[in-house]
Order: sequence, then structure tokens, then C-alpha cells
Amino acid sequence: MVEAKNVSREYREGSISVLAVDSVCLSMKKGEVLLIMGPSGSGKTTLISMMGCILHPTGGEVVVDGRSVTALHEDALPDIRKRYFGFVFQSFNLFPSLTAAENVEAILRFKGWNKGDFSMQARHLLEKVRLEHRKDFYPRDLSGGEKQKVAFARALAGDPPVILADEPTANLDSKNATEVLSLLKGLAEGFGKAVAIVSHDPKAEAFAHRVVFMEDGRLSV
Amino acid sequence: MLWLALKTLLHEKARLIITVFGVAFSTVLVLMQVGMYIGFMGNATNIVRHVDADIWVASKKIQCFDFVGPFPEERINRVRSHPEVLRAEKLILTMAMLKLPAGGVEQVQILGFNPASGVGAPWSMLEGGIDDVKGGRYMIMDKTSEQRFGSLNIGSIWELGEIRFKLVGLSNGIRNFINAPIVFISYDHAREFINDNQTSFIVAKVRDIERLDDTVKSLKSQMRNNDVYTRRDFIYKTVFYWTVQTGMGMGFFLTAVLGLAVGGAIVGQTIYTNTMEHLRELGTLKAMGAKNSDIYKMIFIQTGVSVIIGYAAGSLLLLMARQGMEEGGVNLYLGFWVFVPIFLIILSTCFIAAFFSIRKVRKLDPVMVFRG
Repeated sequence: MVEAKNVSREYREGSISVLAVDSVCLSMKKGEVLLIMGPSGSGKTTLISMMGCILHPTGGEVVVDGRSVTALHEDALPDIRKRYFGFVFQSFNLFPSLTAAENVEAILRFKGWNKGDFSMQARHLLEKVRLEHRKDFYPRDLSGGEKQKVAFARALAGDPPVILADEPTANLDSKNATEVLSLLKGLAEGFGKAVAIVSHDPKAEAFAHRVVFMEDGRLSV
Repeated sequence: MLWLALKTLLHEKARLIITVFGVAFSTVLVLMQVGMYIGFMGNATNIVRHVDADIWVASKKIQCFDFVGPFPEERINRVRSHPEVLRAEKLILTMAMLKLPAGGVEQVQILGFNPASGVGAPWSMLEGGIDDVKGGRYMIMDKTSEQRFGSLNIGSIWELGEIRFKLVGLSNGIRNFINAPIVFISYDHAREFINDNQTSFIVAKVRDIERLDDTVKSLKSQMRNNDVYTRRDFIYKTVFYWTVQTGMGMGFFLTAVLGLAVGGAIVGQTIYTNTMEHLRELGTLKAMGAKNSDIYKMIFIQTGVSVIIGYAAGSLLLLMARQGMEEGGVNLYLGFWVFVPIFLIILSTCFIAAFFSIRKVRKLDPVMVFRG
């Protein structure tokens, strides 16, 4: 579904250059949970940003659904992200002014979803993450785990084939973390999504089909 | 994006109120300045605009309509003898003191006109008619003068420059710029207030309006001791005098600009704060495929809606206060052609103020959303 072919990302500041990701080859497949582990600063987030078409690699190539996106102009990337990717972030990034359902609805509207009613669809997605009963709550009234579930429902809005989750359990307690990881696995196995998780959390390993480790910008399987 | 923009905007009620207040304040200030300016200029050119004449002949080097010098009235013959002139009339414009019933005096502006032709007569009458000034010391005053003179009763006798005149009519809403009440009397009796055989204006109607400029040019060459204007040029001259030469226009302009600046600053600041506070969410939208233009739309919608609500509130406030202001002697022009351009100006100012938010969004790197 998504393939990183020998991708690198170099950051330059004046005369100093840092190679955050160094010639990494990695692929994501439908129905599979890929776990990317490694210490802080090892380049995990940079890698996932490149695979998610948010960041251009300085070397190598990213292929999405059989199409190389590396050569595309930066203006073309939002459309690729809109169509193929759903993101889950460590700090949720929910709109505080929108309810749980509205946060999901916002992405549906923005993605031009026209299959029926937005509210119905948002409710359906919240049902998927078992949070339908909290649909009218604002983020400030939700627990960390609930916020992350809303973020999941939002990531699923528009039915993207790829879900990228960056440290999804970092701000959660053990019970919620397990629930979230099991949700991610369910998305891959139940709905055929290609799921990549970036995490420090050793618990995540039990929910992954494949685990890769990164260190100093390189992959060590 | 409209939906999201409105949801976000309306959720932050306190901020919205501050924004709306800022725009409303700006609206009131700008509309009031422009409305007052147009109202004043309307008053300054009131008589020139309403007298049925294409050409105005005045004393040499006249500054504006109100400050006119006398010149020999026989010069009307030169105007009348011009082949392009259909008819010509004389008008006297002068100042005099009016003795008030309760004691004291007030300065008034006298306009002497020929009641037979009606040229220079009041154009809006509440009581009486313009013919009523014929044949004696009769005068028409304006209803708005009641604020200064007290009740104006038809048939009452007033002493104008120590000459007694009988009030025979009331005009409606005829004001001048110099804020001295206008008194209309017949030309023959207006002569008593200036030197013999002198007049203030000769106004003429031409046969062919297409040839007006040529006619004026020709009259100018024949009347070197007078200024000759088309009606339009005389209006411009009067407006230019009050606006530029007295510096009054600059005063109005600066206050209006100040209003715009205040409104723009408040809207810009609140929209910017709003953007900054939602930077992560906007970054998330970008990560999920939103283009910069999508988020710009959201900012512009929020700005536009704030301006629409604020402008409506400010306009309503001013319309409600208008009656009281007019009773207080301020002629406020608030027509369609004031509301529309000023709305567009305030909207543009606020859009410009929102540019800082746009710049922030443009530079927003969606990678930032991955940082915890």
C-alpha cells in the first residue's frame, strides 16, 4: 500500500547537517499492523511523516498505491493525504470547539464525503470505536482514552486505506492504551487497513504483525 | 469549511463579542464621519443643487457659495443677451441679525429670490407657498430653525436687521453649511440688506445643455470682473473649499481612518489569537489533506462573518441615534451609497488585518502535529 524505497531525510542548519532518516526501505500492507519502535530522536516520526506524504524525502522514493509521490509538487500532496491517509497523534489535536461527533464530521465534510448524512456517518464511526455514547461531549469533558478514540474515528473519516499513528498510547493509562492498540489491530484485521504505529510502548508489540526498530535514522529488524 | 469556520467562531463567544464590538465601534465611527461629511457638504451645496440653473455668475475670486461679494446687478443684461441663455435671474445672499422674541439676536442667512419665477425659492414647503412673499415684507423660515428661535407661527412678526417681516411660510429641512438659519424673502426686499443696485448671484438657464461649457467660456470672456461657473463646477468649488481649504475634510478623513484602524486592529488581533490557539488543529487539517487555501477560506469566513455582524450592529446603532443627532442639528447622510462602500472598506481592512493569520497558516508545517 505504502512503500518507502531507500528514503532519507537530511536537515541542514548552516553548516551542520543531520541525517534524521538514512536510506530506509519499508513497506506497509493492507490488513497489517506495522510497529516502528526506537528511542527518541531515532527518526521514527520523520519516517512516518515521509510515508504519510507530509514531509518530502531528500533522498529515495515513497510509493503510495503503486504511484511514486516523491517527484510530485508539494501542492499535490494534500490530495494524496486526503485520499489515502488517516492520522492519529500523540496529543489528539481535536478541535476544542467541536463535540466528539463534530470533530469527526469536520473531516467528513472537508473530505467531501457525500454518502448520506454527516452526523449519521460520524455517529457510525464513533460506534466503531465504542464511543457513541459520548458523541455530544466536548474534548474538555473526555478522558485521554476517549479523546484518542475520537481521534481514531476522525482518522477513519472518509475511509482512508492507511492509518498512521504516532505514539497513540503516550498520553494514556495502561487500560486505555491496551484498548487503543486493540482498536488499531481491529482496523487492520477487520477493515483491511494498512496501519503503522510509532511507539515506545513495549505493550504495542503484542498487537503488531510486524515490528521494526529504528536507531540513528536506520532500520534494524 | 464554512461549517467549521462558523462552529469555531461561535464557540468562542467572548472573543466573538469583542470582535463584533470592535467592528461595530469602527462602523459607527466611520459611518458617522462619512455621513456627517456628506451631510455637511449636502448642506453647503443645498441651494446650488436645488436652484434651477445651469450657470452661476458670482463676484470675482469667490471662495464658496456662502462667502459671496456683491457686484452690479445690471450685469444680468450681459447674461440675458447671450444667445445661448434661455433665462437669467438675480439672487441676493447676505447675512442679517434676527431679533428673537425672548430677546437677543441671531445671525441668519437671507436669500432674496424672485417669487414670480420661483428661481431660488425654497423647494420644500411645510406651510404657505413661495408666492406668499410677494408684495410686502414677508418671509419664509425653515422649520429646523425652531430649535433656535422657538415656535415659528405663521403670521408672527420678526425683526430682521431692524426691518419688520411677517412670517408667511415654513420650509422643510433647508439648511446651509454655516449653520445660520436661512430666511427666504423676495428679491426686492432683500435689496434693503445690500448696497443699491448690487446683487450676489446671477443664475441662468441655457438653451442647449450640450453647449454649456462653450456658453460658460464665452460668458467668462465677456464678464472679466466676475466668476462664471457651471452648476457642477460651483458645487465642486464649494465642496473643495470646505473640504480642502479649511482643512475640515482632513479632520473627517483622519477620524474615519482612525475608526478603520481600531476596527482592523481588533479584528486582526482576535482572528490571529484564534488562529494561534487552533494552530495544532489547523495543522491536523493540513496533515489530513487540507490545502492552505482551505484554511485561508476558514479565516476569511470568520473575518467576514465578524464584520457582517459588527457592521450590522454598528449601522443599527447609528440609525437609531440618527433621529436624535438630527434633532441636535447634525445632518447625517446615511444612504445606500454610504453603507455599501463603507462596508466594503471595513471588510477589506479586516481582511488585510487577517493577513497575519494567513501568513502564520502559510508557514505552518503539518509535521508540527506529530510533536507531543
